Amino acid sequence: MSKWLRENLWRHAFATSMCVFSLFPLYLVVLSSFKSGGSLQLSSFVPKEISWDNYKMLFSSPKIPYLAWVKNSMVIATAVAVSSVVIGAASAFAFSRLKFKGKKFGIQLLLLVQMFPAVLALSAVYVIMERVYSFAPSIGLGSQAGLILVYLGGSMGVNIWLLKGFVDSIPAELDEAAKIDGASPVQTYWLIFIPLATPVLAVVCLLSFIGTFNEFIVARLFLVEMNGRTVAVGLQQFVGGQYATNWGAFAAGSILASIPIVIIFLSLQKYIVNGLTAGSVKG
Amino acid sequence: MSGIFRGKFAIFLKIVTLAGVTAILSLLAQSAFASGESAIGAFLIFAIAILNFTYFTKFSIPLKFFVPGILFFIAFVIAPIVFTVIMSTFNYQTGNYISKDASIEQVLILGVEPDANQTTFDLVSGKDIDGNDAVLVSDIAGKKFFISTKDTITDVDAAKLTINEYGVATSAPGFTASSPDELAANTTYSDIRYKYKDGYYIKIEAQGVGAVFRQTIAYDSKTDTMKNIITGDVYKNNGRGNFALESNPQKVLMPGWRSPIWFENYTKLVTDSRIRTPLIKVFIWTVLFAALTVLSTFAFGLLLALALNRKVRGRRIYRSILILPYAMPSVMSILIWAGMFDSEFGAINNILHTHIAWFSSATFARAAVLLVNLWLGFPYFYLICSGSLQAIPSELLEAAAIDGANPRQVFRRITLPLLLQILSPLLIASFAYNFNNFNLIYLLTGGGPRNTLDGEIAGATDILISYTYQIAFGRNIHDFGLASAISVLIFFLVASISFYGLRKSKVMETFG
Repeated sequence: MSKWLRENLWRHAFATSMCVFSLFPLYLVVLSSFKSGGSLQLSSFVPKEISWDNYKMLFSSPKIPYLAWVKNSMVIATAVAVSSVVIGAASAFAFSRLKFKGKKFGIQLLLLVQMFPAVLALSAVYVIMERVYSFAPSIGLGSQAGLILVYLGGSMGVNIWLLKGFVDSIPAELDEAAKIDGASPVQTYWLIFIPLATPVLAVVCLLSFIGTFNEFIVARLFLVEMNGRTVAVGLQQFVGGQYATNWGAFAAGSILASIPIVIIFLSLQKYIVNGLTAGSVKG
Repeated sequence: MSGIFRGKFAIFLKIVTLAGVTAILSLLAQSAFASGESAIGAFLIFAIAILNFTYFTKFSIPLKFFVPGILFFIAFVIAPIVFTVIMSTFNYQTGNYISKDASIEQVLILGVEPDANQTTFDLVSGKDIDGNDAVLVSDIAGKKFFISTKDTITDVDAAKLTINEYGVATSAPGFTASSPDELAANTTYSDIRYKYKDGYYIKIEAQGVGAVFRQTIAYDSKTDTMKNIITGDVYKNNGRGNFALESNPQKVLMPGWRSPIWFENYTKLVTDSRIRTPLIKVFIWTVLFAALTVLSTFAFGLLLALALNRKVRGRRIYRSILILPYAMPSVMSILIWAGMFDSEFGAINNILHTHIAWFSSATFARAAVLLVNLWLGFPYFYLICSGSLQAIPSELLEAAAIDGANPRQVFRRITLPLLLQILSPLLIASFAYNFNNFNLIYLLTGGGPRNTLDGEIAGATDILISYTYQIAFGRNIHDFGLASAISVLIFFLVASISFYGLRKSKVMETFG
């Protein structure tokens, strides 16, 4: 056995088997989406036929308002991502750059509250939004605007925390220089900080978009109407029913919905990994 | 560009924006107060006040940055948490969901009984001579006709009536029948109790039909009791949100109201064995599930990172494939796995040539949950570990090698301890995250298998959080009080785990 083989064989063997493990479910979904049938079964590793029926069904069947679902998900996730970054950036800037009383308390509160998992407050959010519905149905339970408000509030802590991490990594020399030149904090924020931080804000915006797109349980509880659902809820209901399992169409639908998310994710890989480790590795 | 943020235009923009926001919030506050939601209304007033105060004065500059965030934070994070804690001290469940006033109203509406024969009459709705809502009733069996309003009952001579072929009177002097359009516009006429004899009244059951009822339950606000006028039974406020019969406290009038019961939801967790036994079972599985997940994802991630740490050929291709499970929207991939584990049509049995009913057996369901979570989680630790391996100074490893340590010893004595030290906060964070990994359990197994026929709420794969959800929303009875109590318990568990992790990561020290 050569030296190369001895040192590298296990590496390739292990990495390859993990790759197979990773790819198997994904490959199966792709296969199923091109198969006209209702199960996630593996009849052969090579597709025998390529049928576009499942994809056509998504866009033509009146029972599956797939396009409406995608639109809802896009609208909700975009609204949440943009607004939460606009609101969160200001708070993160203040936490990172301004000196004021109660700063330490604020950050600790932010951390503590995040440990109260969002799902646990679900019954409370439900009851509160039910009451909001009683006087303002358009922003209460069952409305997309209400869901956006809940997401926005719920993601505030995480986003401020995440943004603060990124903001800390932007050098402070420029805004200190602006301060010396007589700029007020508000001017420093708009004229120096925002132009500098735009790429970072865009990254957090996309991360927040992915997170909201992926959210399931609040959307499930909130959006009852068939046409008002998000992709995640719609597709889950589609295969969740005991007797109405149509995996082919589900496979097609989830592939189409996942592709943009996977692309965003892979292109932001570097930032995501940095964001994951920031704050913990440096200590 | 910079002019936007200075001078008159900026002030103009500020005033317009604030005025708009103030107007919208005021409208909302007004309708909140109008429908009795004074807490929400008060919050909206508070929001208006603090917004205008902050942006029109120079009271505090940091506050100008914080105010929108703080308001959202209070409304959708702090308020639900406070509300959860309050709910956990209440008997707040299906049957005890409404306020006390609404409950009394409902009990009185339901506290009626039909007469002995369950008499029904044909009738026509309309107005009497004074314009009051009235009905023209035809007692066909008794050959009697009368006009009845809320307070009066007047017999009418059959000779003066127009009677149709079924023997039903359709018009009478002093009575104007309403047209269907008039009835549709009248929202109250069908709720009126039209007077009948002997304490009974006539209630409109359907178009043209009325039935005879009498009130049996009466409320005495002085003693806060309900009394059955006919039998004399007294129902006392039992202090737990119901009026209960004095002689048999199990018999309560429905619906009850949400009533404070202080720590009963908490003590129930310990004293009531029907709640305690499943809770302990679920708790053990939750810890086991979270620990095994962290262990397996970390082990596989680390091994991969080690395997691909050197310049192995094709490393970039491996990396982009291995990251895919992490990049996929997890809702989709969990559902895909659920389909693959299907006992009849799933790929897993298909490939293994087995017929295992994965989600019907506790052991197999748990194994499936762990396998799927490994798939979802190992890329995360692979990414983290390969980053951290690079951060270990190579001099250390070289020095050890020079001292004669073989690669295995270097790994066990130097690399692994260092890695664990660097990554322990992330391992703890991952434990805390999986402790509450609701999506996985809910979408993959739904917490099952569970024996619903025996009234079991906790399934074999239920973790604390999915169990809580099950109590709050999963069954016919929604018990928000008990669910909130468990939520508060979980909060303390997770907070102490995370606090420990934070202290380790020294984040706490870098504040300020």
